[in-house]
Amino acid sequence: MKIDATKPLEYGSEENSNKIFGFWIFLGAEIALFSTLFTVYFVLVNRYATGPNGTELFELSGVLWETFLLLSSSFTIGLAVHSMRLGLKKPMMIFFGLTLLMGLGFLGIEITEFFTYVHEGATISTSAFTSSLFVLLGTHGAHVSFGILWGASILLQVKRQGFTLATANKSFIFSLYWHFLDVVWIFIFSFVYLKGLM
Amino acid sequence: MMKQLFPIRHVMGYLTSLILSALALTALLDIPFASKMAILAVTAIIQASLQLFVFMHISEMASTKKELYLNIAYALFVGLVTLFGSMFIFVWGWYS
Repeated sequence: MKIDATKPLEYGSEENSNKIFGFWIFLGAEIALFSTLFTVYFVLVNRYATGPNGTELFELSGVLWETFLLLSSSFTIGLAVHSMRLGLKKPMMIFFGLTLLMGLGFLGIEITEFFTYVHEGATISTSAFTSSLFVLLGTHGAHVSFGILWGASILLQVKRQGFTLATANKSFIFSLYWHFLDVVWIFIFSFVYLKGLM
Repeated sequence: MMKQLFPIRHVMGYLTSLILSALALTALLDIPFASKMAILAVTAIIQASLQLFVFMHISEMASTKKELYLNIAYALFVGLVTLFGSMFIFVWGWYS
């Protein structure tokens, strides 16, 4: 395969560039997906029937930790790509690993939160509000869970094969995915949690 | 080495995103509802743009820059029409 040395390795062949372009198109579809879930939530947010509403259910401290972890992991995956472009394998793997660990921390808090919600009588079938809440948060959480598995397998490949056209491309595409999840979380943080607590 | 591993652009982007998250918390203060929503919208949109431009480098490849902008703009158009169209009909009672 022809390697274009004027570009970073992840863009190094036409196939690589096309894969990155294709992933951006996929992220466009993800924007549309999350828009519909946010729409359902905003339409149903006041239909909490006899169950709790957002103000009663949400707690700020856990949400702040989740936000901090996800923002920081978005920072470290950016640093991982930066190290990769400098050809520094070990720092790249450390930043990448930190990203996944913070993702796990985020998931841990979110799962604990879900248990608390259910314990307080807010299950997915309690009201239209809780249904739309769990579907929105759950879809984002499922993306994070999938991202951790996907990222871990990419990290393993980088460890075994070093930076190649394939591994650099996958790592970069993973970074786009992870940043995107952070963007979605920013809107959940602001318009689900903070708005709910207002 | 530290300077090499932690480029100033990324560090500033990270600090800005933390500050913006903290700023969003002012929406919990006792201020008019419209101001609260404005704070949430502005801080969220700046943070999203930060991710897009600083961390995701959407504009780094001159050959695909225009197409990627168009793709994101189109996705946002579809998303916002879905969102506000539904709000008009189901929440704000625009049809009546």
